[in-house]
Amino acid sequence: MNGQGQQAGHVFQIRWIPKYTFVERLLHWVHTASFIPLVATGLVLYLDILKPLAQGDAGQWMRLMHRLAAVLFIAEPVIYGIMQPRRLWMHLKEFSFERDDLGWLKNAFSYYVWGRHEAMPPQGRFNTGEKINGMMMILGWILFVASGLIMWFGKGVVSADLFRWMVVLHDLTTIVSVCMFIVHLYLAVAHPLMWAALVSMRFGVASASYAAAHHAKWYYGPKRAMELYEAKKRGASHSG
Amino acid sequence: MARNAMLIDESKCTACRGCQVACKQWNELTGWEYSKTVNGGGYENPPKLTPQTWTRIKFTELDGPQGFRWLFLKEGCMHCGDPACVNVCPTKALKKQVDGRVTVETDLCNGCGYCSQFCPFGIPKLAVEGVFTGKAKASKCTFCQDRTGNGMGPSCVKTCPAQALHWGDRDKLIAVGKKRVEALKTRGFTAANLYGEEVVGGLGRLYVLIEKPETYGLPADPRYPVAAIMWQNIVQPLGKIAIGGTMLATLVAWLVIRRNIKMEEVE
Repeated sequence: MNGQGQQAGHVFQIRWIPKYTFVERLLHWVHTASFIPLVATGLVLYLDILKPLAQGDAGQWMRLMHRLAAVLFIAEPVIYGIMQPRRLWMHLKEFSFERDDLGWLKNAFSYYVWGRHEAMPPQGRFNTGEKINGMMMILGWILFVASGLIMWFGKGVVSADLFRWMVVLHDLTTIVSVCMFIVHLYLAVAHPLMWAALVSMRFGVASASYAAAHHAKWYYGPKRAMELYEAKKRGASHSG
Repeated sequence: MARNAMLIDESKCTACRGCQVACKQWNELTGWEYSKTVNGGGYENPPKLTPQTWTRIKFTELDGPQGFRWLFLKEGCMHCGDPACVNVCPTKALKKQVDGRVTVETDLCNGCGYCSQFCPFGIPKLAVEGVFTGKAKASKCTFCQDRTGNGMGPSCVKTCPAQALHWGDRDKLIAVGKKRVEALKTRGFTAANLYGEEVVGGLGRLYVLIEKPETYGLPADPRYPVAAIMWQNIVQPLGKIAIGGTMLATLVAWLVIRRNIKMEEVE
């Protein structure tokens, strides 16, 4: 996977290391391709300007589309769990939080706004923000699927009160998820520090130098990464 | 415009069920759902409100010291003054008219069924064509919207031979109902009461009952659903602010950060 090239007389070399499997990337985009139509067909019930689309036959079509997309949305993590259960388990473990994550959160603002990643504690394959996104997506999926299935198949079966609160929960989950999606989309396509993320999600690889700088615990392993981090801090305090 | 209402004097109802027939006839509702008659052990028929049965007489059997007797209740949409169904309907198929009638425009209905679930009385019914596709239409008593919208009374009121049903100005009918309750009390019906004057914004369907509402199976204290308030008055407006705020903040972040961090300098 190593690439070489020549640009303005300088020889440059990028060493690529694998980050995501083909199945993971495919399912990521299946998730995207189900989430966007789900939001779009759900918004017609939410925004007054779109409400004419919810009426009559158009509304019936919206509800049918919502269900078709929901099938994809529900199936995607299930397929992942069946095809690559070890990878799924690995991700769940990598999404869990550690003490270092507090240090990351403290420095997150200057990292994202000013690009200062020197002070950031070394990160694993996912940084704290990505972990929060991952955990929130798992929680969101559970809430969406539970409330959605009750609304789909439980009408007249479950109590009216339970149905009503499922509507509220479905809306609440949508609102939080849409906010997260906006931030996720911006970071993926427009944030200058995050260009590697989109490359990884398209081609499954990360550049070694990017991984070393931003995901040191993954690249060097936790022990070596902490040594380098401590050394760098000492060096910075000496020079400062 | 003053509110119209239906006053149902259950002390006069003989359960002839002419109202059920008149309702089906005027609104062109079929009886096909009951082509196979089900014996429920009583004289009550049909057994429940359905998409094709918008009103029916519910029989409550009482066996007390005075011997066996029936209580009759003409079920149907209450036309609440504060109708949750109208507020949760995303299609405006359900509308509250200026005279208080809650009408249904079936063409606009997309079958979401929120009305059936948020109604404090569980009245609107959903004709489901497919559970998987979600294809459905909601329906309920409209007070014969095509009649009452043109100055006539609902067809059940017109047909009632016992004169248990009245249609007209709500305030006047409340006065009539209260007078009737007093008359009933003097004649030994001590539990007589007028149901629906205040609850859920004041009902458009008022009952003179000779027993407590609970005895008829009516909720004693029906409430506008808390979940509907939570959903539409809190979560949805806050959600718009949250989503709008996130978009704005992201836009600002984009404008600022693209100047702060040069992509070429990121390894």
